[in-house]
Amino acid sequence: MTAAPALELRSLNKSFMLRSGTGWRARHVAHPAVRNVNLILPRNQILGLVGESGSGKTTTGMLALRLTEPDSGQVIVDGTDITRLDHAALKPFRRKMQVVFQDSYSALDPMFTLAQIVAEPLHIHQIGTAREQTEQALHWLGRVGLHRSYGGRYPHELSGGQRQRVAIARALILRPDVLVADEPTSALDVSVKAQIINLLQDLQAEMGLSILFISHDLSVVRSLTDTVAVMFNGRIVEQAPTEAIFTDPRHPYTRSLLDAIPVLNPRDRRLRQFASREELEAATPRLRHADLHVPVTPSAMAQLVTVAPDHLVEALVA
Amino acid sequence: MTGFILRRLASITVTFFIVSVIIFVMMHSIEGGPFDAGDMPMPPAVRDRIMAQYGLDQPMYVQYFKYMWGVLQLDFGVPFQSPGETVLELIGRAWVPSLVLGGLGVLIGTPLGILLGMAAALRRNTWVDYLASAVATLGLTIPVFVTSMILILVFAVWLDWSYASGWSEPQKWVLPIVAYATIPMATYARYTRSAMLDTLNKPFVTVLRAKGLSERKIIFQHVLRNSAIPMVTVFLPMFIGTATGSIFVEAMFRVPGLGAYFVSSIRTRDYPLEMALMLMLTVMFCLAYLISDILYAWLNPRIRFGGRRK
Amino acid sequence: MTTAPVYRQRSPLWFAWRRFTANKAAVVAGAVLAIIMIMAIIAPLITKAPPNAQTFLADNLAPPSATYWFGVDDLGRDFFTRIVYGARVSLTIGFAAAIFSVLIGLPLGALAGYYEGRTDWMIMRVIEIFSVVPPLLAAMLLGALTQGGFLTIVLIAALFGWVQVCLLVRAQVKAFKEKEFVRAAQALGASPGYVIRRHLIPNSISPIIVGFVLAIPLAMMLEASLSFLGIGVPPPTPSWGQMINTGMSFMYFYWHMAVFPTAALAITVLATTLFGDGLRDALDPTLKGR
Repeated sequence: MTAAPALELRSLNKSFMLRSGTGWRARHVAHPAVRNVNLILPRNQILGLVGESGSGKTTTGMLALRLTEPDSGQVIVDGTDITRLDHAALKPFRRKMQVVFQDSYSALDPMFTLAQIVAEPLHIHQIGTAREQTEQALHWLGRVGLHRSYGGRYPHELSGGQRQRVAIARALILRPDVLVADEPTSALDVSVKAQIINLLQDLQAEMGLSILFISHDLSVVRSLTDTVAVMFNGRIVEQAPTEAIFTDPRHPYTRSLLDAIPVLNPRDRRLRQFASREELEAATPRLRHADLHVPVTPSAMAQLVTVAPDHLVEALVA
Repeated sequence: MTGFILRRLASITVTFFIVSVIIFVMMHSIEGGPFDAGDMPMPPAVRDRIMAQYGLDQPMYVQYFKYMWGVLQLDFGVPFQSPGETVLELIGRAWVPSLVLGGLGVLIGTPLGILLGMAAALRRNTWVDYLASAVATLGLTIPVFVTSMILILVFAVWLDWSYASGWSEPQKWVLPIVAYATIPMATYARYTRSAMLDTLNKPFVTVLRAKGLSERKIIFQHVLRNSAIPMVTVFLPMFIGTATGSIFVEAMFRVPGLGAYFVSSIRTRDYPLEMALMLMLTVMFCLAYLISDILYAWLNPRIRFGGRRK
Repeated sequence: MTTAPVYRQRSPLWFAWRRFTANKAAVVAGAVLAIIMIMAIIAPLITKAPPNAQTFLADNLAPPSATYWFGVDDLGRDFFTRIVYGARVSLTIGFAAAIFSVLIGLPLGALAGYYEGRTDWMIMRVIEIFSVVPPLLAAMLLGALTQGGFLTIVLIAALFGWVQVCLLVRAQVKAFKEKEFVRAAQALGASPGYVIRRHLIPNSISPIIVGFVLAIPLAMMLEASLSFLGIGVPPPTPSWGQMINTGMSFMYFYWHMAVFPTAALAITVLATTLFGDGLRDALDPTLKGR
């Protein structure tokens, strides 16, 4: 009997109202950012959530943390449905889920010292005395690779990679079960990217963290994650163990994402194909019942079906 | 666009009514009625009769509604200090000097200011620029009654070139007009300078120069039009503010304009006149801001034609 | 473990200082302001007699000389003394009103900026009410209502100065609200009150300072205007506005009565405004034009 997954998202939906046009001709259009998303993040695993800009992956991350409210659906943390909890009831659960953002500069309050930044979670949850909080903060600065004496410095004195380390320290000081990392390496230089990825791997192994790793950078995802979910237009179109995604992509969108990764060998380039968005929308794979690993009821709408162990694809089942 | 206008109108109307209530209550709360002060204290019976005649003995909210009802019919009552005419007539009479002096001040100051600003922008960082900027800053920061005082002292007292008071003949108008002109001049000098500098630095101007367009054409046909929008929208409130007469300029130059009457109406507790003046000014400012907002939204091609999303 | 760092980078404050000192007008203005303030503080040490004491009646209306630097006024008081003590009045009222403006404008601006929606709408309506009424006229009404007096003038001036502070703070809070460190604090379960208090307001220090410094000349001008019209600071307390009013009656023959208060007021207001502008440009060049 496996333990409850660290994080589970069920049928999440979120639309944003956008205004097009001006004045009295303005129309308010509902833009569905996240459509019927189901995700399971098991314990002690890293799930990569990939897709292009605007695919809804960041919104999904925000929904999971309840930094945005879902229109419908459920967010379940360690077996408990936290979707409708109010501020006070939610607070203990906030300790279990933390976040690291892409923009490390605006993620740290420029007026706070590094020690204050890292200690803030302890302060908000009123854990320990002020002295203990500072001591913990400095200890964690060390764990992420910064010398303790950095405690008295300010964010603007650090490089991007160092700030991201501070953000990670702040996220992990409460020992959460789930870490949502929203494009944490996208703004960093290549060499620094590798350092941060290694740091995350080491910490994950030490602490048994579950990480929801949101990124558009497939090469990073390949080296870090255990499972990958691909998002397109607000929906999950494919989900499988990492290697399966890269060696056996079933959905045309996944294929075009992989094709977009620059290749060194010119000969391999000729094999790539790029389809437009409309073509991709229309190219939902059509599968017969026999192809499925787990049977589902046929439906006129595309749905996520299992085509191999742990490998889900969005398809139309005839 | 229509929605925007209607919404602004509605909000302005609400604001107007709230302001009218507040002013009304404040006015009537000032100690001493209109007939209490003065050299000849009246016997109480006489005073009560006069108060009743003017409806001043009734509860405040009754007075307020009666008054506002009249206002909506453009009947502002009769001023206590000169019962021979209606408030409207008095305002009409008193407005003339304010309008003439203030209006001329704005009409003269604005183009002067624009020219000054242009000169400063075109001869940036030269003595022309520094002088113009200094004059503009001085004009804006020194309060208008101080400027008036300086003008009087220098030109009327020491140099004896002009007159310090009254407005019966055009010669007497010079100093007040100069005083009035300082604010628009300074404001426009600043605006023009910074707007032009902003535009001159934009890449499209470099392209125009590379195309070989003469400097003069560039300035008049392109740069000015770009800078014009904020300047146009600021004109109306400024005009209203100046054309209704500055209390100080009128006090210092002894001009019987709106400002002077405002001061006297407060002193003598002349409710109808006071109320009418305040309301009138408030309405005019409300409308001025409304029109400016609309003008700005309409003139700005980005708002008018909509931008692309993302 | 990485090794300890060797150097420290320059802080934004250092850059702000550099920008400020590059603005010569602002630096001069600051120096002038400092001198005026010092003179106001040590007033008893540099003047001959208390400002209201009519000790020099024998030399009534005497023009400036070596004995009486600014001359003597119409009631036998040393004019230099009156002017210097007048500085006390103007500066005190200016600073006090500015403090109250911030006390009112800061919380309102923070609330409007953070909560947006209805709260913001209501506060903007209130600001609109304050914007359409010509401030001077309303101040006159209020002054007549409350019969003048020191504290009332301060409060009246604050009533017209808070709007600018509020707008500046509101803009800053709105801009910072979307920053990720606010989101991070919210992800930790921080309450809105905590976020506003510990993150948004400390990051709004620069617009607060700018709003404060720019509210001072406004308040001083308002006080001078009211005193000029006779409904401000009551005599015999010296106020420059009042003195200008008196000076008008005497100016043809006794020029010193009009010139000195006028010059004092003009210089002080100018210095405060230029200093405030310089401060604003140094702390946040993007605030220009507001």
